Amino acid sequence: MIPETAGCEPVVQRSINVRASVDVAFRVFTEEMDSWWPRTHHIGGSPMSKQVVEGRVGGRLYSEHENGDEVEWGDVLAWEPPRRFVFAWMVTPDWTCERDLARCSEVEVIFTPVDNGTTLVELEHRFFSRHGEGGATMREKVSGGWGGLMEMFRSKAEVAA
Amino acid sequence: MNTYQQAGFDALGDVTRRAILERLRRGPLPVGKLAEGFAVSRPAISQHLRVLKDARLVKDTAEGTRRLYRIDPRGLEELRSYFDRFWGEALLSFKQRVEGKGR
Repeated sequence: MIPETAGCEPVVQRSINVRASVDVAFRVFTEEMDSWWPRTHHIGGSPMSKQVVEGRVGGRLYSEHENGDEVEWGDVLAWEPPRRFVFAWMVTPDWTCERDLARCSEVEVIFTPVDNGTTLVELEHRFFSRHGEGGATMREKVSGGWGGLMEMFRSKAEVAA
Repeated sequence: MNTYQQAGFDALGDVTRRAILERLRRGPLPVGKLAEGFAVSRPAISQHLRVLKDARLVKDTAEGTRRLYRIDPRGLEELRSYFDRFWGEALLSFKQRVEGKGR
């Protein structure tokens, strides 16, 4: 395993260019997250019915579920419409809610207008070491990779066996 | 999920085939060597290799009179790209939504 240090810790980066103004892109990404967030991406115990982002520093990201549960999975750390949005990733490596913010990685999303009227959306998921021993597992889960694959596959195969 | 990804997952859904892959990760082997230590017959190992080959998880090359089996990086790359989905899939979904709105 590669040792992790605070200064050069691996991050997960993704970016995408969208044909929309920076204002629209920011609003849809945040306040209208429910309209696009994949229904398969949640940590609740029953199917997800709604995704909610409270647009202010200290606001929550949470999902509502068919069994009536509300499951928090993020805490807004920076709210700078329409350019920057940062939230704590309140998810444990076992995919449950992490209440201790000191043990949460964080996700930063930057919205940059491009000359041709599109917006560049850059996402960085970082500080995985805050999850403790499970940090590398979390990084693999959100970034893909062989370790995550084998782990997810093993759990599936074990259920089937 | 594309055809190779589907084939890759199906191929991995068997404990013997996973063990074969684990063994080949250490280096190429002929089927005879590969079959050693497995409780199943050599023809059964060949059958498993066929499934792994179809999923592009292993490939074979002729070395003199025998065939050597080794890991095929193409199939692994397919599976990797499938699991590259978490943020990738979320951003793609966001793009479709935000661009649909503008029209």
